[in-house]
Amino acid sequence: MDAASQYLSLDEPHRANHLWRYSPWRKVHPTGKVGEIPTSLASPTLTLTSLSGGVVLAGISLEKSSGANQVLHHADAVTESFLKAITTDSAFTLRVENNFIASEPIFLDIDTGDSPCAVHLTLDVGRHCEFELITQIDGAAPWTGLLRSGRIGEGTILNDVVIGHTDAGTFLRVDNISIGRDAQVKTGTVSSGSERTKADLRYRMGEIGGHLRVLGSILSSDKMHLDHHIEIHHDAPETFSRLEWHSACGGKSRTVGTGMLRIVDGAHGADASQLFQNLLLSKGAKADSIPELEVSEHNVVGCGHGTASGPVDEDQMFYLESRGFDTDQARDTLVAAFLNSTLIAMGSETMHEWLTNHLQEELADLSS
Amino acid sequence: MTEQEASTMMSPEEVSTVVGDYKAGWHDPENSTIRFDNGLSEQVVRDISALKDEPEWMTEFRVKAYRHYEKRPMPTWGNMSLLEQIDFDNICYFLRSGEGTETNWDDVPEDIRNTFQKLGIPEAEQKWLSGVTAQYESEAVYHSIREDLVKQGVIFLDMDSGLREYPELVKKWFCSVIPYSDNKFSALNTAVWSGGSFIYVPKGVHVEMPVQAYFRINAKNMGQFERTLIIADEGSSIHYVEGCTAPTYSSDSLHSAVVELIALPGAYIRYSTVQNWSANVYNLVTKRGIAHENATIEWVDGNLGSKLTMKYPSVILKGEGAHAEVISVAYSGKGQHQDTGAKIHHLASNTTSKILSKSISKDGGRGSYRGLVTVSAKAENCKVNVVCDALILDEESRSDTYPTMEVANSTARCEHEASVSKVSDEQLFYLMSRGHAENEALAMIVNGFFEPFTRELPMEYAVELNHLMALEMEGSIG
Repeated sequence: MDAASQYLSLDEPHRANHLWRYSPWRKVHPTGKVGEIPTSLASPTLTLTSLSGGVVLAGISLEKSSGANQVLHHADAVTESFLKAITTDSAFTLRVENNFIASEPIFLDIDTGDSPCAVHLTLDVGRHCEFELITQIDGAAPWTGLLRSGRIGEGTILNDVVIGHTDAGTFLRVDNISIGRDAQVKTGTVSSGSERTKADLRYRMGEIGGHLRVLGSILSSDKMHLDHHIEIHHDAPETFSRLEWHSACGGKSRTVGTGMLRIVDGAHGADASQLFQNLLLSKGAKADSIPELEVSEHNVVGCGHGTASGPVDEDQMFYLESRGFDTDQARDTLVAAFLNSTLIAMGSETMHEWLTNHLQEELADLSS
Repeated sequence: MTEQEASTMMSPEEVSTVVGDYKAGWHDPENSTIRFDNGLSEQVVRDISALKDEPEWMTEFRVKAYRHYEKRPMPTWGNMSLLEQIDFDNICYFLRSGEGTETNWDDVPEDIRNTFQKLGIPEAEQKWLSGVTAQYESEAVYHSIREDLVKQGVIFLDMDSGLREYPELVKKWFCSVIPYSDNKFSALNTAVWSGGSFIYVPKGVHVEMPVQAYFRINAKNMGQFERTLIIADEGSSIHYVEGCTAPTYSSDSLHSAVVELIALPGAYIRYSTVQNWSANVYNLVTKRGIAHENATIEWVDGNLGSKLTMKYPSVILKGEGAHAEVISVAYSGKGQHQDTGAKIHHLASNTTSKILSKSISKDGGRGSYRGLVTVSAKAENCKVNVVCDALILDEESRSDTYPTMEVANSTARCEHEASVSKVSDEQLFYLMSRGHAENEALAMIVNGFFEPFTRELPMEYAVELNHLMALEMEGSIG
């Protein structure tokens, strides 16, 4: 069955499924008519450079591909089949050869243009690579779809950051990535654009020794609705994962963080935890969290989760004000520090500097 | 014993295989005075009401609930494969075993009296309780309350008597916290409810010693649908304790209770449960309380038995300064799924809540915590603390945590933390190096793990619970 037929055979997902509790599929779908598969979506423009704008080194390339051949694991059937169906002519592969090493971050720009668009990006990362990748989605499209699938090869060290930075509209993102044996992956999400984001990020630790950190810095203001679901599957022994998700929520916006840590029977020695932290900055802001755990293996190092929601800490405000900050400065500083604690962990100093410079404007919006 | 009964009853060896050391798994010969045919229809609902000679409004209420139950689908979450196995047509919805509710144990039919004596209820009543209701199958067979409490205006009755003697009070509060349309099982309970407790504590009265209700299912394929309503008037307090057991059969029984608590301004209600149903009982219970201004509601909830428990004690914090606390433990053994949790809704400012959940899974058992905390936009300065800890004792078992936190007010401070782990080798080694056998060491660690729960129970319950857990731990390897 092809992806389009598969999608059309599925029922509309129910709210009882936590993935769809806060963002019903009909509100995410490009037309709102869930029985439709739009055929007029454009393909965004993809540009691969070094972070400074130069030509990328040999060993990494971006090529047009056929998305139909990609096999996805543990994906949500509705979004997977839908995105595959609409990206048959808009599929690319980011191929990274074995032992590729880059000292400067690689920058992949996805320019959505002005029209609804979607793209399927396959990550084919070889063995023993060492590099950083920043993927930025920008433009003014009213609807953008991004499906990222693939595998990170054995022993690769990768810092992977995705920035949702579209001017407005809806952004649907689905990640489905397998972590190879002994690979060390940090994957960061910076979400500061779009009116509505629905992200379903899934990572499969299917090989022994995988090490994963998932980090989020979410800036939500005005009437934004930013919904991120993160699933980490520990399918192999001796795997390690940490999820740290920081959302700062201002205006009348709403952030949603739902997570699932699943440790299967046989994944002994798994060490996993997830933490959602929400900073509520205004009276109309809302933050929802559902950090879920399913543990079927008793011989684990530890599995835990936590969530905390609250306003800016009064003691910290007092501390800064007593040292000469005015109220706004103190508050802005604390909000920036809150978001920075995950930003700084996403990669190298170069990457961090680029990210913080890039987010100055959004931080100012949050404060106002 | 009929031939059919004999064929569905397990041999002692089979019982031992399925439930291990379940102590309350015996059953008495069924001496029912009235037993409805298995299965449910509108006529059954009307017949239950007619038999109890209820007012018209209650009959119509039951029928409305029944019609809703018929329309309402089964839940689409939780352990759906176990839920689908419930054969609603093979359940008896009403069975009367005695001739009425007695106030003297000597007047209770001998076999039933013996059952409650084996369970230690009359002894506990003399030692440390303010009142007792003993329910056998569908109705209460014994009921008592201390004279001094009656003089202070405390009403403690079985629910059927409560409806007869205080119809206006019941009409005012019945279904006020849990409408019949809340879920499929609350609709079922409202349609066929029988027994349970009705309590009213007048303004400013403090019931110093706990009152207790004990629920016993004896017949096979029995449905027990008790209904409990507790109203604590302004500034009053009460501690209600319930216990439950059933015999072990190879066919399933259904326990589907509804409990509504109303804590008026400044009142305090603690509701403690030690559920130890046999492993053939579905325990699908809806429990919810409303706490008004500066009131406190506490659920202390122990789940040891049953095949599938789905129970999420809830509190609606409606009045400013109200407080809710849920302390729960769950033990899931072979073939058991304890799907438990808590729900707290902060509707008013300066309300606080605390949830502590502990679970142990062993021999392929599954323990799930499912929780919901909401803070409404108008509720300023609320504080929430949720802690869930789980222990998995062997390779076959499983533990899940599904917490939901919805915060719509920026002044709220909400925290949730959970962990899943095994018994630490260091702790076992430490205790064994001091002369304890491995099983003893494990039982001590497990009792220590449950200690935040047991310390909140009356002493007699805590001792019994520790003993039960020690039995469950026999043969375990950490």
